[in-house]
Parts: sequence; C-alpha cells; structure tokens
Amino acid sequence: MRIVVDLLQALLLILVAPLVRGVVARLKARLQNRRGASVWRPYSDLLKLFRKEELVPPTSSAVFRIAPVVLFAAVVCVTAFVPVVRSSALIDWQGDFFVLVYVLALGRFFLSLGALDGGSAFGGMGASREALVSSLAEAPFLLGLTAIAILASRADIVGIVAWTLKQDFFNISTVHLLAFGALAMVALAETGRMPVDNPTTHLELTMIHEGMVLEYSGPSLALIEWASAIKLHLVIALLIAFFVPWGMSAGDSWTSLALAVLFYALKLAVCAVLLSIIESAVAKLRMYLVPDFLGVAAALSALAVIFTIWVKR
Amino acid sequence: MGLIGIATAKILSSFSVFLFLTIILLAVARRISTSVLLFGLQSAVITADVIATAFQEKLPEVYVVGVLVFAIKVMVIPRALFVLTKRLKTVRDVQASTTPTQSVFIVAAIIYLSYAAVHSYAGAIHVSDDALAAAVSVILTGSFLMVSRKKALMQMLGLLVLENGIFLAALITTFGMPLVIEIGIFFDILMGLLLMGIFTFRISDTFEHLDVSKLRRLRG
Amino acid sequence: MLLLLPLAIPVLGAGLILCFHNPRAATRAALGLGAVEIALLGVLVWQVHERGALHEGRYLRADGLSSLFLLVIAVVSALVLVYASGYLRHMGEGRFSSPRWFYALVFLFLFTMISVCVSANLGLLWIMMEGTTLASALLVGFYNTEGAVEAGWKYLIVCTVGIAFALFGTIVLYIAAVRAGMSPASALDWVSLMDAAPRAGFDPHLMRLAFVFVIVGYGTKIGFVPMHSWLPDAHAEAPTPISALLSAVLLTCAMYAVMRYDAIVSRAAGPLFSHSLLLSFGLASMIIAGLLILVQRNLKRLLAYSSIEHMGIIAIGLGLGGPLGLFGALLHTFNHAVAKSLLFFGAGNVRLNLNTLHVDSIRGLSRSMPQLSAALVIGALAIVGLPPFSLFVSEFGILSEAFAQAHYVVAILFLIMLSIVFGGFAFHFLGMLSGEPNRSPENARLVPSEYTTMACAALCLLVFGARIPHGFAVLLQEAMAVLK
Repeated sequence: MRIVVDLLQALLLILVAPLVRGVVARLKARLQNRRGASVWRPYSDLLKLFRKEELVPPTSSAVFRIAPVVLFAAVVCVTAFVPVVRSSALIDWQGDFFVLVYVLALGRFFLSLGALDGGSAFGGMGASREALVSSLAEAPFLLGLTAIAILASRADIVGIVAWTLKQDFFNISTVHLLAFGALAMVALAETGRMPVDNPTTHLELTMIHEGMVLEYSGPSLALIEWASAIKLHLVIALLIAFFVPWGMSAGDSWTSLALAVLFYALKLAVCAVLLSIIESAVAKLRMYLVPDFLGVAAALSALAVIFTIWVKR
Repeated sequence: MGLIGIATAKILSSFSVFLFLTIILLAVARRISTSVLLFGLQSAVITADVIATAFQEKLPEVYVVGVLVFAIKVMVIPRALFVLTKRLKTVRDVQASTTPTQSVFIVAAIIYLSYAAVHSYAGAIHVSDDALAAAVSVILTGSFLMVSRKKALMQMLGLLVLENGIFLAALITTFGMPLVIEIGIFFDILMGLLLMGIFTFRISDTFEHLDVSKLRRLRG
Repeated sequence: MLLLLPLAIPVLGAGLILCFHNPRAATRAALGLGAVEIALLGVLVWQVHERGALHEGRYLRADGLSSLFLLVIAVVSALVLVYASGYLRHMGEGRFSSPRWFYALVFLFLFTMISVCVSANLGLLWIMMEGTTLASALLVGFYNTEGAVEAGWKYLIVCTVGIAFALFGTIVLYIAAVRAGMSPASALDWVSLMDAAPRAGFDPHLMRLAFVFVIVGYGTKIGFVPMHSWLPDAHAEAPTPISALLSAVLLTCAMYAVMRYDAIVSRAAGPLFSHSLLLSFGLASMIIAGLLILVQRNLKRLLAYSSIEHMGIIAIGLGLGGPLGLFGALLHTFNHAVAKSLLFFGAGNVRLNLNTLHVDSIRGLSRSMPQLSAALVIGALAIVGLPPFSLFVSEFGILSEAFAQAHYVVAILFLIMLSIVFGGFAFHFLGMLSGEPNRSPENARLVPSEYTTMACAALCLLVFGARIPHGFAVLLQEAMAVLK
C-alpha cells in the first residue's frame, strides 16, 4: 500500500508538471494584461511534438540523440526521492539529497553535451552559459540542503520532512529562513526562470536553456520540454516539502491522502502565483551579474550552515 | 495566556530573525529607495518588539516609546527620505564600493562576530543571545553601510540604521530608558536628519553631485 | 530660577535676533544680549561659590566643576561676540549668511553648551552634546563654499556617529547601574551615581565597556587622535569667531563630559583603566598632532592641530590624576581657551587683510601690520608653553605630576612633543613675520573691536602666568573637590 502511494506520488510529479507550467504561463499572461494560452496547452504541445518527425544535424553524433533521453531519465529518477503528500518516497537512502543534486547535475551535463554536439553557435553559447550558472548554483544548493539536514540530524529527505512536520511553525528558525532564501534563488537558476534566464525569450543572444534546445525537434524536443517542466515541479515540491510540509498525511487512509493532495494543490498554487509575480516584476539579469546573484545565494547558504553549527536554531 | 500573549511571546522569540533578514537585504540593495524601504521594515520590526516588550513587562511608558518609534521611524523618516531622493534628482543607484556578493559575505561575518562578541555578556545580563546579537549586528551593519556607500543619502541611512541598533540594544537590556530621555533622543535624531537633509541639498548645489568620495579637497 | 535664566536667555535671544533685519541692529541686539548672558553666568558662578551646588528640578545642577567651565564659556563668548561684531563687516549678503542668522545660531550654540555644563542627568548631557553638533553644523558651513560644505558635512556625520557611540556607552552605564540596584529614575543622575559607585555591585566589566564607548564617542567631539578627522577641516573652514568658539569652548565641554564619566568609572571600577585610556589617547593626540603641525600650510589648520595637541595635554593631566595633574588639567582648559582665541583672532585678521591663510605666501607681516604681529607673537609664545604666559604654569604642573608618579615615558614624550611643536610654530611664524612684506594689507591697524579683544586675551595670559588670581584658584580648588 505504501509503495502504491509512493508510486502515485512520483507519477503525480511527472504527469502534473506540464499543468504547472501552463498555470504559471497563464498567470504571467494575466499579470501582463494579456489573455494567455489555455493551461492545458503544454499537454497538447507535447502530444504534437511526439507525433512529429525528428531531424538531426548531419554533423552530430550519438550524444545528440542520447542527451534528451538521459536528461528525462535523470529527472524521472529524482522524482522518486521527493515526498509530496506523505512523508515517504519511493527511494529513501541516507544522504539522498546529495544524490538528488548530482543526478540533476548529470541531466544538465548531458543536455550541455548534446547542445555542443549539435554544432550550432547558439548551442555552444547556451552550453557555456549553462556551465557557469550550474557550477555557481551547485554550492548554495548543496549547502542549503545540508544546513537543514544538520539541523534535523537526518541525512535523508524523508527523514528531514518527518522532522520538520514535528516542528512548531511560528517558532521561526533563522537557519530555515536563510536556507529558504538561498534555495529559492538557486531554484530560479536551476529551473531557468527569471531573473537568471527568460523561458519565453525569442532573442537567441539572451538564451541559456532555450539556446541549448534550438537544434532539437520531434520526440527529443518533447522529452526535453517535459523534463524541464518536471524539474520545475520537482524543485517546487522539494521546497514545499522542506519548508512548509504541514498538511501531509500521516497515515494511508484515502481521506487523509485526499486532504493532503488538496493541501498540496493549495501550496502549489501559492508557489505558482509567487513565481509568476517574481517573473513579471524583475528584469532578466545581464550575464555578468548572474555570478553576483548566485554569490548572494552562496553567502546566504554559508550563513545558514554557520547558524546551524553555532546557534543551532 | 490568550492569543495576544502567545503572539507576544512568538514576536519576542523570533524578531531577531527578521532583523538579520533586513540587514542582509540592506547589504545587497542596489537602489536608494529599496534601502529606505528596508529601513522602514526594520523599524517596523523594532516597533513590534517594543510593543511586545511593553505588553509582557507591563510598562505603560514603553507603549509611548513604541508609538513614537512607529510614528517617527516608520512613517515620517522614510517618507522624508523618499521626498529628499526625488527632490535631489540624483542617480538612484546606491554606488556601493563593494559588490553585492562581497557585501553579503561581510554582513555574514558581522553576524558571526556579533554572536561571538555577545556570548559572554548575554548570559550575565539574562537576555537572549539572539536579540542582543541582532542589535549588535544592526549597529555594525549601519557602520558598514556608512563606510562602503558613496552617496551622501546612503551615509544618512547608515547612520539611521546605526541608531536603530543602539535603540534596540537599550530596549533589550533595560526595557527602555526614562521617557524624557527617550523623547530627547528622538528629537535629536529628527533634528540631525533635518540638518543632514539641508547639507545634502547644499552639497548637490555646490558640487553638482552627491558622491561623498569625491569630497576630498580638504586633506592633510 | 538662577539656573533657568542663563538657559532661557540664549534661546529667546536667538529668536529675538532673527526679528532684526538690519545687520547693525542685529549686531547691537546680539551684543546686548551677550552682555546680559555673561553677567548672568558670572552671577551663577559667584552664587555656586557662596552657596555650594545649586539644583533646579531633577535635571539641572551647577557645582564647582560646572562653574569653572561656565566661566570659560563666559569669557570666551564675550571675546568672540565682540570680535565678531567687527569681523562680520566683510560678510556678503546671502540668503542665510547675514549677521542675524550668525548671531542667532551662535546663541543657540551657546545654549547647548551651557546646558551641557549644567546637566545633572547623563541622558540630558548626551542630548545636549548632540545638540552642540547640530547647532554648530550650520555655523561651520556658514560660508557655503565648496570647502565649507564639505567640512560641515564631515563634521556632522563624524560627530553624530561618535555621539551615537557615546549613547551606547551611556546605555551600558545605565544597565550597570540598574543591575546594581539603583532605581531607573536615578540611574542616570550623576550625583546618585557618584554616591552609589563606591559601594559594591557595579559590574566592573560593564563599567569598563561603558567608559571605552564614552571616551571613543565624546573623544570624537574632543578631537582625540584616531577620531579627529573632522577637526582640522571644521576649524579651518568655519568663520574665525566660530573657529575660536569651537576650539576654545566646544572641545572643553566635551572634555567636561569625559571628566564626569571618568569620576564615576574611577569610583566604581578603580582609576587604573580609565586613566590609562585617557593617557593613551592624550599621548597619541599630542604625538600625531604635534608631528602634523610641522607640515601644515594653512594657518587655521595649524591652529586646529594645536587644539588637538592641547586637548591631548589636558587628557594626560586627567589621566595622571593626583592633585597637581588635575589642577594642571583644569587650569589648562582655561588657559588654552584664552590663548587659542587670541591666535584665531589674529588668523582672522590675517585673512581679512591679506586675503589668504597660506603660511608660505605671507612674508614680512611684522613690517606691514605691526599690531597684528605683536598679537600673533604673544599668542604663539603662549601656546607653545613659554613663560611668562599662563600655559607654562599648567603644563609645568602636569609635567611635575608625571615625574612625581614616575611616569617617565609619559614625561619624556610630553617634553619631546612640546619641543617639536615649539619648533614648528617658530618655523611657520618666523616665516610669516620676517622678511620683506609681499602683500599690502587693507588696513595696517586693527579696529577697536579687534584690538580690545586681543589685548584682553593677551593681558589675561600674562596675568595668569604671573600669579593665578585668588578667586580663580579657589574656583579651581572647588572644581577639583567635585571630582575627588
């Protein structure tokens, strides 16, 4: 029974992801005084792309074709780690938050390789920018998660979530506030959102993620788009699980699970609104300012670790 | 205990977290208006702490101080600074001499130092470590802002943050000084700001810029 | 009543003077009010001598120490007001740079400084010290030139930050007092603190912390060396009467504040810590200021550094303690005030008549302006501490105390710096006075307001150098008794 619920959690993360993306896009459109596309548009886009013919550049090698698959596989693997409606997940190892960070990194690495392999100039540019952003974002990501892990004295994500569920919400902990600041900034960088990268841009010289996928078409592009949607959903779910997990069901009964799903949908909606507000309110940072942005995240996460060790609260 | 009692206890135990947040954000703020807004928020957090202290210690004088802090530091001073910024028609950038990353690391070091410095005193005076460390870090951040920002308005703001920290330290340790003295101190701060405002106008008139690092005629 | 009148008259007078639009009328009103004020201060000093310490309410008090400093304020402000009446004739007409604004601001400045000297409550003392910064900032930037605005801004910012640190020190003292069992209402009252301090209960760590912040904070206003950056600029760019007021009165009032705190902290935590801090700051100020005097090119900046040096001397006297050291320090506050006023008046005349303050570009002053040169020579001889002038007496007292307490290092450094300063002054002043005149002054003779004030100051220096008048000696004894 538990395994069924955990499997359903992972499927939830995978299947609802395009909806999350659609909702965010729609909210942004509304904020910018447009009507916007329907929230189900990403699903129809995926279906369309899966049916189309795939064209590969003649100069590319097998890496170009494997890269989307590896990316999708990596992201799907990671969904097995994250608890959504229950404080349990399909895979629960000690130290699995390390694995989470680095499997995601593996996916990004292969995407960059594929972009380089495609042979276009914009692919190369996107790949090199992606390398900068992801290398700078890795440290704060890890430090933020580590700070909370040390505070909870648990090494697995599920354990941390279980610990957080027992804490008092109003006794605001400095470590959590700092780690949340750092992880929120990293989340924007990892998922390729403003102010680090504009997902809706059509100007190639401003692209990071979009630049890498310019050469892809057909099912490969579908896999990549789906993978990035899943990553967005995943990162939001991770932040919710680490910082505001209250509402997750304790037992296996259908009523409590249904209630937990409802709470989760509510929190997801709030996050979607916040994300669309942030994306509409800030302008994209110029590339030389992105290290400053991520440097602030690094400082916040370093401070979180210092607070964990020194103040313990 | 009642709802207000619980709220008071929560405020008193966690206000230092929000103060740390405001000083970190002050370190990375790139525009003067953002910094003024953060100063207003910081003063609002301090007001909450004042009112909570007044409620818990049952000191009616401290309520008056709380109202004064709110009226002066949350309403009047930020609004006056906004008006001043607009009137001076100056560049909105803060003109920091350190990058945001360096500033955040410096503020992080400041927070760490405050905790280290306060550790021995807090136990002796029976106040919480967090609160006193928050006060000292606000003081040190105010000094850092004054030193690293080159705009005259930012030096004024750094001074205001410094005085916020000193006021907070007084509040935490002694629940406020005699009322007459507090009123005198507020009056002095207001007059000081008025004079600094006059001087910034004179600087911008005489020098046509507000960059105090360029005021280097008198040396030796 | 007696305490309230000297406080009320300057404030009301400031408002009154602003109503006179005619500069001549404003000047006359200012002189009249000044005379009344000084007479009141004289009466107050005499009454304190007759009746002992006077109280007014909970916050005002005048004892022997206050009356000494009030006398200094009275004498210097008399000289300054008379000098300013003549000096301002050359001021241009600007929106805020008219004599009425000048006198109004001067009276507000005097009000704050008198309040500092009659505060019984350390909190009120702080408020009024901050008030002195605020009242004098506009006076420092009075001319509204680039240099004046920069000096005024620096003065305002540096002194406000310093005073904020002094507030922190006051708060720590308050904490220590409250924790030792004093009631909050009386924990900032100086007399109550002096009474309670010898008894056990005051945490020495807290008292030491408080004193460190107070000496750094108020030391900024005094001009102790790491915190002195505002002083040369402010004194050089301000109008001359204001420079005299700043050097002679403001620095001494700040020293008064430190004296009050030193008395409390010495009683509570032993004199060693506070006195060694005073000695270190004093020596640092003497050394750095003395060395910098050698390389100055602007006459008023030279005099400003000399003020820093003399504040260092007073701090050394205080830090040494003992009857001679304390006597020397208190006497020195008066002597320095008079001598520095004389010198600043001379510098003002140099500026008025020769349009420059650059020491290098002035030659042959003794031939082109003999009266002024006489005044400058007397002032310079007095300020470096040569007999028969009064500064010799006070510096000798401090030096004897150093030898008596076997602080040989302090004494040797003191002597070395005095010699260096003597050399610097001799070099600069001889350069200005000797040789062929290279500039023709506007008037070679001094106007009455100028020579009366300068003559009074010079006479005072000579008389006090020969023999300290009995009344003044009694006043000094009473002031010392307060601090014991």
